[in-house]
Amino acid sequence: MRAPRLLTRALVASFLTVALVLGAVFAVLSLRVRDQVRQSVADNLASAQQVFTKVDGRRHQDQRASVATLAENPTLKAALDTWLTERGAASEATSQELLATVQREADKIADRVGADVLAVADLSRRVVAAGGRLSASWPRGVVIGQPIEVSSPSDRAVSVGSGMYHVVSVPLQFGESPIGSLELGTALDAGYARELADLSRGQAAILSKGSVLASTVSGPAARDLAAYDVSQSGARTMTLAGESWAVQPLLQLGEVTFLALASIDRAAAGQTQAALRGLAWVGLGAIGLAVIGSMWLARTLTQPIDQLSKSLSAMTGDRARDALPLPGTSRELDQLTNTFNSLLSSLASAEAEAEATYLGAVRALAAALDARDPYTAGHSERVSIFAVAMGEELKLDSESKETLRLGALLHDIGKIGVPDEILRKASALSAAEYETIKTHPSAGARILRSIPFLAPHIPIVELHHERPDGLGYPYGLRGDDIPLAARIVHVADAFDAMISARAYRSGRMPVEAIAELRRCAGTDFDGPSVEALVAALPRLVAAAEPLTRSRIDEPWGRSVGTARNRWSSDPSRASNVVETHR
Amino acid sequence: MRIHVGLITAALALIVGAMPAGSAYARIDAIELWRDRAEAAVGRAGGQSGGRVTGSVKLTLANSAPSSSSAYERRSVGPRPKAQPELRNVVIFFSDLPGKAAPTQASIAQKDEQFAPHMVAVTAGSSVAFPNEDPFFHNVFSLSRGTSFNLGRYPSGSSRSKTFTRPGIVKVFCEIHSHMSAVIRVFGHGWFTVPNEEGTFAIDNVPPGDHTLVAWHERIGERRDRVTIRAGAATQINFTLPVLEDGQ
Repeated sequence: MRAPRLLTRALVASFLTVALVLGAVFAVLSLRVRDQVRQSVADNLASAQQVFTKVDGRRHQDQRASVATLAENPTLKAALDTWLTERGAASEATSQELLATVQREADKIADRVGADVLAVADLSRRVVAAGGRLSASWPRGVVIGQPIEVSSPSDRAVSVGSGMYHVVSVPLQFGESPIGSLELGTALDAGYARELADLSRGQAAILSKGSVLASTVSGPAARDLAAYDVSQSGARTMTLAGESWAVQPLLQLGEVTFLALASIDRAAAGQTQAALRGLAWVGLGAIGLAVIGSMWLARTLTQPIDQLSKSLSAMTGDRARDALPLPGTSRELDQLTNTFNSLLSSLASAEAEAEATYLGAVRALAAALDARDPYTAGHSERVSIFAVAMGEELKLDSESKETLRLGALLHDIGKIGVPDEILRKASALSAAEYETIKTHPSAGARILRSIPFLAPHIPIVELHHERPDGLGYPYGLRGDDIPLAARIVHVADAFDAMISARAYRSGRMPVEAIAELRRCAGTDFDGPSVEALVAALPRLVAAAEPLTRSRIDEPWGRSVGTARNRWSSDPSRASNVVETHR
Repeated sequence: MRIHVGLITAALALIVGAMPAGSAYARIDAIELWRDRAEAAVGRAGGQSGGRVTGSVKLTLANSAPSSSSAYERRSVGPRPKAQPELRNVVIFFSDLPGKAAPTQASIAQKDEQFAPHMVAVTAGSSVAFPNEDPFFHNVFSLSRGTSFNLGRYPSGSSRSKTFTRPGIVKVFCEIHSHMSAVIRVFGHGWFTVPNEEGTFAIDNVPPGDHTLVAWHERIGERRDRVTIRAGAATQINFTLPVLEDGQ
């Protein structure tokens, strides 16, 4: 398996860090949220309890007051008192008419007070008539709790039939003498529990003697609620159906306890979810930032490393490289780049040294070759100089010029295999001898192939006798099939040969040589190369003079004159060229 | 008025002869007057043929339990009306004696938003006046069976009256002041009395024999006792009210 990329590693590392941090934050936050929610739920219930106590107290006071006002009803009191008196005397049969009157008044009062049930009762709290929504559950004769006593509270919880009621009593009396009472009943049922729940902004339950009368919580939670310990006062936490609930007693009415409830777990779930949503956004942002950051970091690392490795691979591909710029992103990377650069420069100097050594050897070889014939001494050096100058005129790049310089220097290296007697022969060559001469480009190429760094120069050596018209050797290539470097060297070689003296002729004047080259441009010689030589000539005269002077005794003038003679005595262009190039 | 009552009583006593007849007066002084006259008449007629029952009534129940009728404290603008003795709201009577008694006149004043006295006992045919002695309007009405009436509203200083012909209990109220009530006990005979403020009572000239004597209070209820009356003798009987309510 391949090792992952640096970018991937950085991404994974930053992602994991962010995830870990977020996870830890979430854990801490949800614990804190739970704590706070527990506190706030308890606080809510406590304030709901205060509100409820005040509101409920005031409500009952007002209800008592309004019932008391309604109790001062002459018709009701007269009818009730008369009925009670007539009932008490055995001789009197009870009057249905009076009962109907009492019933009518009870209905009216119940309607005005909005009571669940309102009963007119006698002194034993026995119902005489009842009105209101639930009047059917308080039939005549039913006793609403204990008989009235001096100390009996006006507010109490009473079980009537199957239901439990919160009963408020208001006495009916003439002056100081009571005759009965109005009993205002509120059913402690699911509807009342719902009202309580609305008031406490949570859930509510009504308990009596260890059983749940009514509650807004359902199912197993309501069953667990029965375990509520009434003797303990104050708010507390209970576990109902596996959930944590805050429980606050609202009111104690005899055996009946009113509770406000709120599920801590449920409230916390909402809060936790909200926190989670917030965290999710933060996390998204953090991951995004981490991705951008790690990408940037990875790039600052990978770019210089990429450059280094590219340079290294370029070095193995034998291509010299300039020193790398310092990345400046970190000290370590700068140091690495510095080390690499010094390695590069030492490598380059080693390479240059090796090349110089080679070049020296090759030069020595070429010079030795030229020295075999006093007439060709310095020829290779001069052709090299001419070719480079022509290359400059043709706007060649420095690399091509370098190739040209070395290639021109070595162009006749193949003559090492040509015997001295043929090379130095002053008379005309035989056809066989001429064929021998013609082998020298291929021989030179063969020799150079054994030296790898001279490979670019092989075409110059091998093809510097090819002609644009295809009559050259060894392959007879035409026009543009011949590399430019080879064409240039061909022209430079011919020019030097023309102006140089030979054993069988003296050198020609450069002007004449140029005229000759121009004449044969397009057929013998490459036209642009000839023109390049013409353009470069003024510079070359000064440069070439010391070379020719040192090797050739005869002055330029005489040599040229001799050459002209030789040229005119041999009209054959082919043989002329052959001679020129011997 | 007194001479008139006395004449009627005397005439009745003479006509009935041995059988002592008496008519009750709603008011104690009337009964006492009647008693004097009747004794005199019977004495003149030749010896005592009736017996005498005396006794006392005791109320054990603090009937007027102070209980707040409203959620707010009671505020009074005027002087609290004088409380009437509860014992004067009890009436003692024989339930099984036949006989008629002459009608009388009684009065229940309306004063300090109270009916005073709260209870009167009268013979059938008697009329009761309801003078308004308060400086504002009052009303008198009743829902009682057989004797339901409404005297309407009338101003201070005026009076209206009503004749009660049927024996029974008549509860009387004021529709303006819901806390006012009174009760009128109407009897077909004359053997009844109202105890004095100490609770003692006496009924004279009761025909000898076994009778049922009843002590009745409009709200506390009644207690019945068998008494044996011997001619010329006094029988002592004590009542204790209340009768327990759940005994009804």
